[in-house]
Amino acid sequence: TSRTLIEIYPLYQLGNPQLRIFRPTFNLTLVRPGKEQPPDTVQFRIPLEMTKFDVRNYLEKIYSVPVAAVRTRIQYCTNKKRNHLNQRVKRPDYKVAYVQLAQQQTFQFPDIFPEKDRKHEEGSVEEMQEKFMEDERQRQKPDPRRGGVTEWFGL
Amino acid sequence: MFCCSYILLSDRWRCTLPFIVSSDIVKMAAAVTSRLTAAVCRQFQRVVTVSSHTQSQYAAQASSKFHSCQRRRMYDSWWFRSALNDRALHTSCVRKGLEDFFDLPENWGEQTVKSGAPWTAKQLRVKSNEDLHKLWYVFLKEKNMLLTLEQEAKRQRLPMPSPERLKKVERSIMRLDTVVKEREDSLRLLQTGQERGRPGEWRRNVFGKTFWYRFREHPIPWYLNSRYKRRRFFEPSHVAPYTRLSLEKYLRSKIRKETRENRNQKRLAAMFPKKTALASDH
Repeated sequence: TSRTLIEIYPLYQLGNPQLRIFRPTFNLTLVRPGKEQPPDTVQFRIPLEMTKFDVRNYLEKIYSVPVAAVRTRIQYCTNKKRNHLNQRVKRPDYKVAYVQLAQQQTFQFPDIFPEKDRKHEEGSVEEMQEKFMEDERQRQKPDPRRGGVTEWFGL
Repeated sequence: MFCCSYILLSDRWRCTLPFIVSSDIVKMAAAVTSRLTAAVCRQFQRVVTVSSHTQSQYAAQASSKFHSCQRRRMYDSWWFRSALNDRALHTSCVRKGLEDFFDLPENWGEQTVKSGAPWTAKQLRVKSNEDLHKLWYVFLKEKNMLLTLEQEAKRQRLPMPSPERLKKVERSIMRLDTVVKEREDSLRLLQTGQERGRPGEWRRNVFGKTFWYRFREHPIPWYLNSRYKRRRFFEPSHVAPYTRLSLEKYLRSKIRKETRENRNQKRLAAMFPKKTALASDH
């Protein structure tokens, strides 16, 4: 389901009290930078309606991250792709925020999918599959006695 | 109304604005354990059964599980995201709050991560306003974490572990919003007698259709608003006959549906008369 929590903010005129939101619906996604970024820069994908000040407040209050600077840009995504009915399909646009941390903190995007040695339980399907794959790989290996020479040639 | 604290949303023409979120929220009160994020011991927690326990019982159970986990494994003080511990969320570390965008380090690289059932509206209605407010932020942070994980999985071209967690969080958020809206509605009805928070009225659009028009706020009156005046809220005279025709069409389709149902019932009654049914019973 897409946005069902539709928000329309009250109009602001000079002298009005500051708008307060009790339950923000903004979601921030931390992304790995495509290009090399300075060590204190963190890259987020934010909703299009968010501003730099919103990002700063959000991070400072909810995550207690000290923010020195925020810069944003809007990424336009293609409307050129077509589906099986030849209709143009739009990939949704998104806003990217580059947040620089204060107090000389650094951030390095961690490796969230490290290779783990998974030991399957005895007699499980995964274990049998693993054994089978190992056997196959063993069979496909060339004869070690040939010393790396391919089996294309005779003898 | 429900604020112990609130967030200040900046307005486009003004800078500033500090939020005033109390530290309780960030610390995530011990009393409130989200079904998902209190899967602190995700690997150790069994599948949570829904609503057979009261909330307090569950919290006690979860906390006992958490503390036993703590004793069981080498607890890394650098990272924990529990609602159940009084210690501060962040010890001194380089990436202070940004750890909350990621899962527990034990779950990195797993194929599946266990998580409990989403919150139901019935369970949420029992909670106080302060608890719901805090729960909202718990859900928000969990959703951010899951979105980060999803994006990184797409980047690395690997499957995301347990994508159903996202749906669970989204549903919990919607239900929380429903509960808060219910409370707001009832309060408004009692205090002012207004059924809706946002005023509106029935209007007819250019096509002759009657619809509920919801008012917007404008800095100028409607007769000075040229864009509003272009949007006609009356049907032109040449459209009037078609309203009657479309109404007739709608009524006809309704009647046809009813007659079709009645005919079907009669046919079935003829095929399976009641006399034979009663006879077969004996």
